[in-house]
Amino acid sequence: MTSLKDNFNGIQEYADDQGLDLGWIDQQGEWGVKATADGAKGLTLNDTQIGSYGDPPEESDNMTGKPRGAAARPNAYRIGGYQVRTKSDIWLTNASMLYEEALQRQWSSATDIPWQAIKPLPDDIERAQCQLATFLTEVEFVAADIPGRWVASTTPDYFEPRMFLITQIMDESRHLDVFRKRALANGGGLMQRPDINVTTSGVVGSIDLSRDFTEMSSRLHISGEGAVLTIFRMGELMAYNDAEKRIYRLAAQDESRHVAFGVMHMRYLAETEPDRKEEIHEYLDEGERSLVSGSQNPAARDSAQSESLSILLGGGQKNFDEGYRKLLAIRKRQAKEYVQRIRSAGFGERFENGRANPELMEYVRS
Amino acid sequence: MADEDRQQRVAGQKTEVWERPRRRRTLNTDENVEVPEPSYAWMPRTLQWETRVKPGKAGLRIGDLNVGIYGEIPDHWEEQTRMPRGAYPLAGIPPLGFALKDKRDMWADNAADLYEEAIQRRWIAATDIPWDTIQPLPDDVEAAMCQLCTELSQAANVEFETIGYWLQHMSYGYHEVKLFLATNMFDAGRHHEAFRKRALSNGGGLGLESRGETNRMILESKGGWSETSLFLHLLRGTYLLTVYRHCERFANNPAEKVLFARAMQDKARHLAYGIQHLRYAVTHQQDKALIFQRLLFIGERVFTKELQDPAMLEPLAIVFGGGIEGARAGMGHVKRMMADWLNSYMSACEWIGIQRAAPLSPDLAKYLED
Repeated sequence: MTSLKDNFNGIQEYADDQGLDLGWIDQQGEWGVKATADGAKGLTLNDTQIGSYGDPPEESDNMTGKPRGAAARPNAYRIGGYQVRTKSDIWLTNASMLYEEALQRQWSSATDIPWQAIKPLPDDIERAQCQLATFLTEVEFVAADIPGRWVASTTPDYFEPRMFLITQIMDESRHLDVFRKRALANGGGLMQRPDINVTTSGVVGSIDLSRDFTEMSSRLHISGEGAVLTIFRMGELMAYNDAEKRIYRLAAQDESRHVAFGVMHMRYLAETEPDRKEEIHEYLDEGERSLVSGSQNPAARDSAQSESLSILLGGGQKNFDEGYRKLLAIRKRQAKEYVQRIRSAGFGERFENGRANPELMEYVRS
Repeated sequence: MADEDRQQRVAGQKTEVWERPRRRRTLNTDENVEVPEPSYAWMPRTLQWETRVKPGKAGLRIGDLNVGIYGEIPDHWEEQTRMPRGAYPLAGIPPLGFALKDKRDMWADNAADLYEEAIQRRWIAATDIPWDTIQPLPDDVEAAMCQLCTELSQAANVEFETIGYWLQHMSYGYHEVKLFLATNMFDAGRHHEAFRKRALSNGGGLGLESRGETNRMILESKGGWSETSLFLHLLRGTYLLTVYRHCERFANNPAEKVLFARAMQDKARHLAYGIQHLRYAVTHQQDKALIFQRLLFIGERVFTKELQDPAMLEPLAIVFGGGIEGARAGMGHVKRMMADWLNSYMSACEWIGIQRAAPLSPDLAKYLED
């Protein structure tokens, strides 16, 4: 078998005449690769996982930002300074698929929402909708700022999860944007910003302060976005026109991808690093406390968000009680969906051994 | 539409009877639940009510929302939390410590429009590139294209790593910029993906990694976002845009043509932000032009040194020349490409307000000699 260099030996003299160095031309990664598109899905990242290109290392020593599979230069600068260089710290089996799905399902808040369908609403309903939109405008971009940091600190050898996180940043930008638009589109305005413990960094156990990717992901993807996903899925119950229905539906579609990322990553970690399970349970302990009592969950008790949700679910202030009962039912659904996700991620033992938050389990059992 | 028509339409909306939509989802509620007394303390808390922004021909765009207090964008944003601009503040929220709190550190008037444009012009490497049009190429051309794509993929990687680092440091008072930069990051991710796919789709593979001098300069530019944008957008961005433009012209097949054309469109948007921002920074800080001038003096030399690496321009010469045998003619075109880049780069510097203190280095000036 002739190498690429052998092929070029015959014309090296000619290259010399052309004044070319060509020192680079035989320095490749695996050669002879021909990824082919898969029908309607086109040429996906999975299609390019061929040979060594599809083989991320368990530990990455890539500190130069070298694309996975490219030939290394001995004199390249060590500019990466990557914190995440262990595969199990960030990996999941289906990041490529989630990435491609995210690209296919991008949408525009400017043109894909039927804004003209919004009609004036009673004042209490409009205020409740605007309060919820203000909350979501603030919290959604947390899930853009933080993944951005982790993209920058993860080795390019694990580019699949990084690529997915970039799509999440794009999704969350759109969520910030669409909820701000909703607040300002129907005779209302922005309202009270969320209270402490929602998006701040000065609290131990916050998403911002996480020093480990899985720690961050358990809070962001599993606890935070999982809770919001349940609410978005109930969007039909709190939407008063087709524009709002569509906002919640499209946002739920995005959030479900983000939650799936978190679940699949935790599952990978549970399978490959069982020694870390106890540590992860600690994060889940914190997340569950936040889920049942913290204001990070808009359906939690006694917050501006829970009151506005009760108004929306009930159909006005006059039906607050009915709305509150529905909110409680949503909270139960949140708890059940959370349990389902944690079981799927491989940490279900906490629901059998008494470790799970008692209040959360009450919701699940009721 | 006449104002009268608009008023009638709005008036018509107001007279419509609000009807609660039909509900399909159901919840099992418990009638015995004890319902707490709501405080409703939040209900009057708004800084401006009765805001009704209507969608225009291009839909409801983020820039359209800048009405009343919601459009007041202060020169300094003291708020150290993620509070949305125009929301009703609450006391006692612990700070996050955003490093960039001044408008001049990130602002560009076109950021909101560019954000919406980026969304409208999104594309998908998997399905919008006609990959099936790629046919086997001579080994030398394929090797050159693969080396070029490796370099471009790595440059895109540095771009999204850089923005990913800075995004978290930008205050929420300037959300238009944060939103736009999210699209810049998203585009860069797609470029990273698309160039990798090209390298792996036609019997080749990835080539040699970048030596990383310019990458290092961009990543290590931690003095401020403007300084990073200077290297990322103005210096390397204008170069990449020129490379894309010329590669689109010399594409070997429709797949490459579409790939470079799409990348070009994205890059032009990134530069539109970067150049506008740098001009804003120069016009709002007295010594910024001087800082930029000094940094570019260094940056140009770093970039010029990197361009001496044969892996940078030789692949282009081979692609433009249709093979090693045509590389001499191809190198002639590379020189024209470099002249195009330098002209656009220097025009942008001038528009921003950066005066040259020294002539171009001889290694760059040679491209302008003809």
